[in-house]
Amino acid sequence: MNWDSEIDEIKQRRKLAKQQGGKDAIKAHHEKGRLTIRERIDALLDKNSFDEIGEGAGVPDYNDKGKLSDFQPANFILGFGRLDGRKVIVGGEDFTVRGGSPNPAGLRKSVYTERLALQYKLPLIRLHEGGGGSVGGTNKEKDRRPLGDPVFSESRFVPLAETLSAVPVASAALGPVAGLPAARLVASHFTVMTQNAAVLIAGPQVVKRALGHDMTKEELGGPQVHLASGAIDNLAEDEDDALGQIRRFLSFLPDNAWSYSEKLTSQDKADRCEDMLADIVPTNRRQPFQMRKIIDAVVDRQDSGSSFFEMSRKYGPSLITGLARLDGESVGVIGNDCMYYAGAMTAAAAQKLRRFVDFCNSFHLPIVSFVDEPGFMIGPDSEKAGTIRHGTAAISAVLQSRVPWASVQVLKAFGVAAQAHFGPDGYVLSWPSAASGALPVEGGVAVAFAREIAAAEDPAARQKELEDMLAASQSPFPRAEGLSVHEIIDPRETRPKLISWLRLAVAAMQTATPGPYLTGMRP
Amino acid sequence: MQVKSEIAGSVWKIVAETGADMAADDVIVILESMKMEIPVIAPKAGKLMQLHIAEGDMIAEGQLIATLE
Repeated sequence: MNWDSEIDEIKQRRKLAKQQGGKDAIKAHHEKGRLTIRERIDALLDKNSFDEIGEGAGVPDYNDKGKLSDFQPANFILGFGRLDGRKVIVGGEDFTVRGGSPNPAGLRKSVYTERLALQYKLPLIRLHEGGGGSVGGTNKEKDRRPLGDPVFSESRFVPLAETLSAVPVASAALGPVAGLPAARLVASHFTVMTQNAAVLIAGPQVVKRALGHDMTKEELGGPQVHLASGAIDNLAEDEDDALGQIRRFLSFLPDNAWSYSEKLTSQDKADRCEDMLADIVPTNRRQPFQMRKIIDAVVDRQDSGSSFFEMSRKYGPSLITGLARLDGESVGVIGNDCMYYAGAMTAAAAQKLRRFVDFCNSFHLPIVSFVDEPGFMIGPDSEKAGTIRHGTAAISAVLQSRVPWASVQVLKAFGVAAQAHFGPDGYVLSWPSAASGALPVEGGVAVAFAREIAAAEDPAARQKELEDMLAASQSPFPRAEGLSVHEIIDPRETRPKLISWLRLAVAAMQTATPGPYLTGMRP
Repeated sequence: MQVKSEIAGSVWKIVAETGADMAADDVIVILESMKMEIPVIAPKAGKLMQLHIAEGDMIAEGQLIATLE
């Protein structure tokens, strides 16, 4: 006697597990222009680095002689691997088995993904394509089990919630993603979706029955919807681009909240000064400028161009958020985009800012803020959106922030919202174009001096005179005299000045032992 | 190709003429929003077939501004 037949059965089971939903299901999936989950994992990870967990999980079929005849694998694939040489955990639904709607073993593996990330403190990547539970459940004869989880078991959502404070999480929607997989998808620091993906709480048929809307799944939850809703950060041209964006995102981050990001050797000169910065801000304050050009000119250049990696561009677009390298260090970058409502803080921009600042704090990324803040967005739509509460919550997040913070005041810093761009103990540089105060002169003068203007012989001339007088008082020079800013600088000096500060700030930060970032209640 | 406004505001100035050949990033109209002049640009090259707005019009977020071919 020996173990040959059992060892053969192991081989057979492994082979059957790799068949996924079978040849026809895989062919149908490829015809939709999509990769299978195993192909996706191979495309993401360093070559031959996938180390699978739970390959044998699934439901067997036996013939009359009690021999294994078939095997339906768990429809969630999970394992460790290397990404650009770093150890990570990766998982995703297998759409070719039951459309990715979890079978019992698939559900267990999906829940275990977050637990593994917490246990080994490794970055987590999820590649989603699948539906949620069905009312039919999984309670068919061959996989019958007791209904529900034992009352003493931990909720499967506990690790889902805890990962965000512990390890970087990046997820992709690569097809239809609904129900539980959709909840998993957004429980991430970075989410990306392909053009033909859809993210849904419930699909078209359920929506039609309950609400009468006759909509496709793309209309309900396609990229146009969720880039603007903020549920998804970035759009990808195709699956390859989505995986590339995940790789790029993770390149800025440490393995977990207990460590710091690795400093790269910068290929870019620390004393590089860009001439275009000197006159990029128009002297006519009615004319806009491109804040992204300023960011790109200041942060490190890499082979492929700027190191700036923008996130959530279409959500709250008056605020720019992203990651970059400065002197080889990972930093979070914030900027106002005056092309959208003069850069005013909308409810969405405020929520985007709060989430981004909390994210930078979770992974100890210094923040560089390029300021052109006219204030909270005004008007009826803004009031209805509750901008004041979301904005005040964002300010609270900024002021509770513990990472090094530098602010470059490019142009405006007005009203309460201005405070959302200046962190505690921050380093403040001011360009000559900077203007600060309670209100922009153009709006404030007409209100504060209404009687005086009305009584003047030439009201328009008097208003202009008052505006010019007050504009002078918003100049950065008196602020520098009072040490309200560290320096007024020639805009060309922005990069070298920030790098000098960053070297000091990072050295000081790294004298502390890093750990998870936890905060209290906010407005 | 439809060009829509990403912001609310009013039409301050029409820059391009109907029938003109536009290059990508050419300015079609300039809106006034929050006391600033914000250009609406051609996302791709094409002929400006129709302008759906006039100077002084109030514009809502997402409103159709121009059709390019």
